[in-house]
Amino acid sequence: MSMAADTRPVADVALQGRFGWRFALSVGAAAAGVLLLAYAVAALLLRGTILWGTNIPFVWGFDLINYTWWIGIANAASLFAVILVLRRHGLRTAVNRFAEAAALAAVAAAALYPILHLGRPWLFYWVLPYPATYQVWPQFRSTLVWDLWGIMSHVIVTSLFWYTGLIPDLATMRDRAAARGRMTTARLYGVFALGWRGSVQHWARHQAAYRLVAALVLPMLVSAQTIVALEFATTLVPDWHQARLPLHVVVTGIPSGLGIVLALAALLRVGLGLSRYIDDADMDLLAKLLASAALGCSYLYAEALLSAALEDPATRAATLARLFGAYGLLHWGGAVLIVLLPQLLWLKALRHRALAAILIGLGAAAGAWLDRFVLVAGGLLRDHLPRIGPLYAPTLPEWMLLLGTVGLFALLMLLFARLIPVVSMFETRHEESEAEVP
Amino acid sequence: MTDEHSLPPPERRTVLRAAGASLALAAAAGCDIGPEEFGHPLHARGHGVHAEALSYATVLELDGLGRGVLVRTRAGHAIKIEGNPAHPASLGATDVFLESAVLSLHDPTRSRRIRRAGRALREAAGLPGFLGERRAALAAQGGAGLRLLTGPVSSPTQRRLIGTLLVAFPEARWHVHAPLGDAGAAEGARRAFGQAVVPVHDLSRAACVLSLGADLLGPGPAQLRQARDWSAARAPGRAGHAPLPGLIVAESVSSLTGAKADRRLALPPAGIEALARAVATELGIAAAGAAPQHPEAPGIAAALRAAGPAALVAAGRGQSASVHALAHAMNATLGAIGTTVRLIDDPAGAAEAGDLAALAEAMARGAVTDLLVLDANPVLDAPAGLDFVGLLARVPHSVHAGLYPDETALACAWHLPLRHPLESWGDSLAFEGTAAIRQPATVPLVETALPAEEILAWTAGQSAAGEALVRETWRKAWGEASFEERWLAALEAGVVPDSAAPARDLRLSADFNPGPAAPAAEGLTALFMPDPHFWDGRFAPNAWLQELPRPLDKLAWGNAALIAPQDAMALLLGDGAAVELTLQGRSLRVPVVIAPGQAPGVVALPLGGGRRAVGGVAPALGFDAYRLRPAEAPWAAPGLVLRPTGEVLPLVSTAWHHPVASDPPPVRRVAPGEVIPPLPEPRSLYPDWSYPGQAWGMAIDLDACIGCNACSLACQAENNTPVVGPEETARGRAMHWLRVDRYQYGPAEAPRTDFQPVPCMHCEKAPCEVVCPVNATVHDHEGLNLMVYPRCIGTRTCSNNCPYKVRRFNWGDYARATGALPVRNPEVPARPRGVIEKCTYCQHRIAAARTAANQEGRAIRDGEVETACQRACPTRAISFGDINDPESAVSRARREGRHYALLGHLDTRPRTTYLARLVTPSEEPP
Repeated sequence: MSMAADTRPVADVALQGRFGWRFALSVGAAAAGVLLLAYAVAALLLRGTILWGTNIPFVWGFDLINYTWWIGIANAASLFAVILVLRRHGLRTAVNRFAEAAALAAVAAAALYPILHLGRPWLFYWVLPYPATYQVWPQFRSTLVWDLWGIMSHVIVTSLFWYTGLIPDLATMRDRAAARGRMTTARLYGVFALGWRGSVQHWARHQAAYRLVAALVLPMLVSAQTIVALEFATTLVPDWHQARLPLHVVVTGIPSGLGIVLALAALLRVGLGLSRYIDDADMDLLAKLLASAALGCSYLYAEALLSAALEDPATRAATLARLFGAYGLLHWGGAVLIVLLPQLLWLKALRHRALAAILIGLGAAAGAWLDRFVLVAGGLLRDHLPRIGPLYAPTLPEWMLLLGTVGLFALLMLLFARLIPVVSMFETRHEESEAEVP
Repeated sequence: MTDEHSLPPPERRTVLRAAGASLALAAAAGCDIGPEEFGHPLHARGHGVHAEALSYATVLELDGLGRGVLVRTRAGHAIKIEGNPAHPASLGATDVFLESAVLSLHDPTRSRRIRRAGRALREAAGLPGFLGERRAALAAQGGAGLRLLTGPVSSPTQRRLIGTLLVAFPEARWHVHAPLGDAGAAEGARRAFGQAVVPVHDLSRAACVLSLGADLLGPGPAQLRQARDWSAARAPGRAGHAPLPGLIVAESVSSLTGAKADRRLALPPAGIEALARAVATELGIAAAGAAPQHPEAPGIAAALRAAGPAALVAAGRGQSASVHALAHAMNATLGAIGTTVRLIDDPAGAAEAGDLAALAEAMARGAVTDLLVLDANPVLDAPAGLDFVGLLARVPHSVHAGLYPDETALACAWHLPLRHPLESWGDSLAFEGTAAIRQPATVPLVETALPAEEILAWTAGQSAAGEALVRETWRKAWGEASFEERWLAALEAGVVPDSAAPARDLRLSADFNPGPAAPAAEGLTALFMPDPHFWDGRFAPNAWLQELPRPLDKLAWGNAALIAPQDAMALLLGDGAAVELTLQGRSLRVPVVIAPGQAPGVVALPLGGGRRAVGGVAPALGFDAYRLRPAEAPWAAPGLVLRPTGEVLPLVSTAWHHPVASDPPPVRRVAPGEVIPPLPEPRSLYPDWSYPGQAWGMAIDLDACIGCNACSLACQAENNTPVVGPEETARGRAMHWLRVDRYQYGPAEAPRTDFQPVPCMHCEKAPCEVVCPVNATVHDHEGLNLMVYPRCIGTRTCSNNCPYKVRRFNWGDYARATGALPVRNPEVPARPRGVIEKCTYCQHRIAAARTAANQEGRAIRDGEVETACQRACPTRAISFGDINDPESAVSRARREGRHYALLGHLDTRPRTTYLARLVTPSEEPP
């Protein structure tokens, strides 16, 4: 059996003329979500942040909660992909491509929020150091400026990483489409394949470039989330002003991203019939990785209690208010979803069941969302002076924004599944050819 | 030729918008004066006031008693009220009512149409004819059937015109209705001295004050004077030169006076009377009656006796006649009359006038054919059970003249819009009798409106304009010789010199008897009280006063019944719990709020909320306590039944949501002479700023601060702070740049209450500055922490990093919302949606002073820049100036031992700092 024959179903997915009603329905639902997003954004631009549930002191709400959450998903998904590439792990053939795609879609969803959360979003570019007439520069000491660079680098490097890995497969797609006589499709893939001919020289450069970009992603993973966490940790707010915060944000973000990747893997296996390419062993590895990452998070939750006990009284009171105050239930709910729920994945029976994997994966992501909620809102329950504003509670327009970005994420993932090989074909071929060597 | 006159008059909002837009134009054109026809404003400064060339001295009334003000105008528009330093009832300070007058003047919901049977008419159709007919008919019968109903009137001109009217119509009668009138006080004085004199308290000379339910520092016509005097009396004690004067307060409901007391007793009304009797007995007043011994009485009596003539006993509004009589007797016994107490004739007293009950009786008899209600609102504030609307229906010809289309306006046959006091001529007596002439400070904003004086004059058969009427009054008083000079001098100064009421030399009646002891009250007592912001209800339409959190209960937009924590515990009630109150068969469903420090068994019902008809401001907010108020017990009514309904009503509150645990506490208390140790020398990676010129700083003396909220409202008026409405306030988005924090520590039954005004701290190491990504908040060369509105993109990070939480965000387009900014100070920009704003230290005032100083080629003098909050403060608690100048007032304050920085340990190095509150060592440590 030829190697080419092995990856044909993967390429066929993208080259199918029709995708069936399920896919159409999914795209429709996701597109409706994007429409909702458009509506929420239009309403926000017309009426302003008055639509939200924020106040003084809770000046940030869903804007920052969802932002940190999406960034966490993006980071964890690309972290996962990068490690696989750099370690040349067998799993990478299976999940690499869509982990990267998920990261990219999540970054896209995340990148909306820093702009939308502004009181005057149309002036967001003032954060950029451009030669303004009055020679006013950004305040480089502001963590928000750091964050701009953080997220911009994240977007660029993640896209590069994803795209570099895609080039040989885009060439394959071009050839396959040409073989079927669909010349327009072939030309389109051809443009993005950058003239890939599969020469040895191409391969050598590609491998070097791919691994180089992967290595570039690595520091980004720590930096992007850390910078987000620094937006909180560098303030004078007692609960936020802790050195542990970046670690907490980075580490609790990992199960959420892995959870999304696991759920997507399970979806692809079922939805696109790719169980041969994403096999049980792959699912085992992925699920165990999630369960271990979740276990690692348990340390963070225990450490929060420990540091609360050791901190100065103001910080202690603030942390205890976050853990046990008005939003305490959300905090501990988040802890259960992030730490305890993924432990079910140690059970083999569960992790091979698509529905269980999807639910647990999404559960871990939801847990991280709750954690972000309690961080952003709960951290402000106690300040240096008594709080006078009422509690923060999200409003309908805020929920619409969240649903809208979920729709955007879903639409991007669906388009990805429609247009691009979801499993790295060249890596699969490479794997299997190596396996054939006696 | 086009028929321009057939065009409909522009809608009010359009007028305002046009007026706002024309402000800048008018200023640019240099026509900063009003039209000729509204008087002859003198562009003179009030005495002791600098750089206020556009101020007019005039006078505004509360309870019919005048407080002198200076009205700052631009292009004929009044934009800000400040106190007149020359006026004894203001001394340059303002209270929330004075500050908000400029908003009432510009209120779009003011009455601007003549109404017939409640319906607004386009023109005065039929009214002149009707009035002429009625006057002729009444003149024919000597005025029989004509009644005039007013509020308390101290104005000599109005009194003169009422006199003329009563001469012209000998059968007519005048009635005075004062919903906050205190019949007990008059009766008490009669029992003590045989005459209904009123005491004028001089707290500046008092070494020991016993308040029997008297809110000496709380809102009222004498607040500004009494608060200043109280603070002045403490000044030697603060400097360590003398012991601090004592303030002992026995009260049923927590008040501002109680918050500043050295010793506070929470007692029900009957308990206050018992205490008064016990202390009087201790002081040797045999007639006080054999009251049961009170454990506190000997100590209080000893303290009063030690102070001797420098002691002062004050009985409050609504106390029984016995308490007032006993207070007078104690003052007489202590020799305080002549030192701390001056007895004068009531400036607003009108022995010849009947009361509302007499009018109601006549109306019920059908003896009233014509009723003129002048600036009173009996349909709202008449006692429950009087059914004034029903009585009005029996009067064939009723005319109401008022500022708002209020309840009475809608119930009367005719309604005339009344001119705002800032638009008309008049005069007024202060609480201690000093006269002041009221001159218009702005063009009349409602053309149809008439001044009360002209209505009275016309009714009496004279036709003269307001100024002529007032001149005539004073020409009679002063004579023709040198009248013009005196008139102009009085207008310029804003007071008539040496016109204070003479002290009455009265002895305690030989057969003094304070009256029988009050029977012990069973069950709950309903205590009616003026609302700190709505007063008797007349200020309820004012959006500034609605949105401003009340000093003690911190409620905004609406009101609640206050219950003692013990009662709340027993009845399992929490804040906002709806209860049904039943008093003498009348019921009302109200939300309750737990008031720490309130006497158990007392339910306090603030008056003036829940107005059914007041123009624009959400009329359904709060409840109307007048619906329960019985005629025979208008202040304290026993027999109140409280039934919890199990429901919860939404309240708009800005109270803090958790106990204060910070150490040291935000408001520090020290003993006299105690020094707060300075913080260790701060270190920073960044170099310090240098300030070669001025470096502005503010020091707020928390010992002087009485929590009256005047600073907060003055700031709002000065800085175009928009009104955001009840929903947004409930969301925690109120925009006040300066908030007054109230702290209550200790047991809820007897809390220690502190106030702390919190403006921007203008930190040297401002946490907000470093986190703004676009440099929208920056440090200036004089140490101001500036907010560059056009640069702000609204990340709100600065607010997160501000430990004082003084930054406010424009979540919506508040400044351009309908009714948010009916009046605008053109010197301060309005902020657009999506930007942060905050206290600027009244930077525009600094700029104005700098310009003036530059023009005169000198440096800015200390005290030349007065921030709006500082200017408003009745106790001069706020000092502001150049901290580079070691002799400036603020530098001297910063050298005091009780000087400290709020949250100083965070090393933000605030420019706004505080002086700790002083407590006498006998009091338990904080």
